[in-house]
Amino acid sequence: MNDSAAATKQMKSLALKSGATVVGVADAAAFDAHAPAKHRPADLLPGARTVVVVGGAQPRAGDWVATSPWVLSTMGTTERIQGVGRRLAQAIESELGHYALFVPPGTASGDTPFLSLMLAAELAGLGSRSLAGPVLNRDHGFMYWSAVITTAPLDVDPPDAAPACPAAPCREMWEREGTTPCLRVCPIDAGGCLGGRLEDQRPVRTAYDAGRCQTRVHTHWVGGFQKLLEETLNEPDRERRKMLVYGDFMTRTLWAITYSSTNIAQCFECMRVCPAAHGLREMR
Amino acid sequence: MSVTEAVKAVGLRAGARVVGVASVEAFRAGVPEGYRPEDILPGARSVVVAGGDGPTAGAWRCPDHRVMEITGYDLRENVAIHAMCDHIERDLGHYAVQAPSLPVHGHEPPMSMMHAAELAGLGSRSFAAHIILNPEYGLLYYAALITTLPLEPSPPLTEPACPHPGCVAMYKRIGTTPCLRVCPACLSGTVRDARIETSTYDREKCHSRAQTYGIGSFQKALLTLVEEADAARRHDMIYSAFFTRSIESLGFFRDSIAQCFECMRVCPVGRKHRKLK
Repeated sequence: MNDSAAATKQMKSLALKSGATVVGVADAAAFDAHAPAKHRPADLLPGARTVVVVGGAQPRAGDWVATSPWVLSTMGTTERIQGVGRRLAQAIESELGHYALFVPPGTASGDTPFLSLMLAAELAGLGSRSLAGPVLNRDHGFMYWSAVITTAPLDVDPPDAAPACPAAPCREMWEREGTTPCLRVCPIDAGGCLGGRLEDQRPVRTAYDAGRCQTRVHTHWVGGFQKLLEETLNEPDRERRKMLVYGDFMTRTLWAITYSSTNIAQCFECMRVCPAAHGLREMR
Repeated sequence: MSVTEAVKAVGLRAGARVVGVASVEAFRAGVPEGYRPEDILPGARSVVVAGGDGPTAGAWRCPDHRVMEITGYDLRENVAIHAMCDHIERDLGHYAVQAPSLPVHGHEPPMSMMHAAELAGLGSRSFAAHIILNPEYGLLYYAALITTLPLEPSPPLTEPACPHPGCVAMYKRIGTTPCLRVCPACLSGTVRDARIETSTYDREKCHSRAQTYGIGSFQKALLTLVEEADAARRHDMIYSAFFTRSIESLGFFRDSIAQCFECMRVCPVGRKHRKLK
């Protein structure tokens, strides 16, 4: 085994032991064709060669089948997978002696991430974009991602050859009804967020209302707090102001901000109905 | 392996970069009554301190300053402290608590982690905002536990980490050091006989620069918002990048502790660990 193969094996093993469900490596240069300038690995870490991507911390099978929508809407978090990313960055530096930059999970400005974690997951061969939007892993479905940019010359993984989306039941549904579970649950022409079709058994996305999706996915969080704060300050009636401040919406919003760490979502409907999103393993 | 070594090994395995031990008696000279370890845990005998890594060397090299502003922390020292507490209570049968380190009045914590790290032989105060520098790794973040378990105290540092020999040479040549030169607004000091002779820093000025986003910026923005009579201006302020980031920093505590690192960026202590391939 050569040096890069051994180093790759060592880091992948650490990632899995630290809690990642999947781990892959992308070539830093591969981002150039897809990511805008200033959002490529070498823009963040001069001399970047590879990007290590870890996936995991996804909702469990039990979360998906829970009858209370509050399970997913209050418990989903990217926190656990980011811990793996941070640990990996430290290990690359202390054990391999190469620079490593944990990609911040927040945004550089507005809604723009420092580096697209979805693109990183695709380029690391860990999954492919679904008609609904999220990158789905073939074996485990929907998951959260974290990435580390490094100058270490690790062995790069090939792209995912067999996309998880569309799943066989979705292809059958398309033939039968001209729609898929995700398109039906959130149709853009009926107040939803998604538009698309299957073409040669491949997903082709034709529309996505990101603004609408965001207001549904993050009903409680930073945006929810800002909205309610404005409403409270605009409210002239003292008693109504008190109701707004102590209301469930404000309370849940504050919980979401302080306990969610870096991400929490309140709408999972396109993923809830997706046959590819919950992994291949059948639960009893 | 001695009990002390075993406890340290648990901390290192859990992610601490360094672990040291101080006896509770060592705190009496410099800590007022009411703030000593035994005032927090009755019958306390030892304080175990864990130092965790700060930003990675890669983060220090990032040309986008926003990366360091919102990320770079692992805070594994807290995990290491909890792992050692569990080991002490479950396996050794002694009380152990994480030492309280968040401020309860102004900037004052119930127990100083900086002082605990010094007494545990892990580092010494520097010119740079009096940050404790570990002689090997430089900037580390510290957490501590207090226990009734008697442990072998770590020896004190034989040489302070600051000033670094390179800084002493610079001071001889031009009368300043890298940190004093990069931030004359917050820092000042003198070197004599290769030791810190005097050192002062403007904590309030430093605080307002180091934490431009955080609880303080949220409070500041909130007061401005409440006092703003014009609804359209309030709307703009609420949805501004500054206020949004301030709210995010409340939630992303570990991702947004400080936004200014300049005195540490130029510090040579521990630099060998920041020069990689």
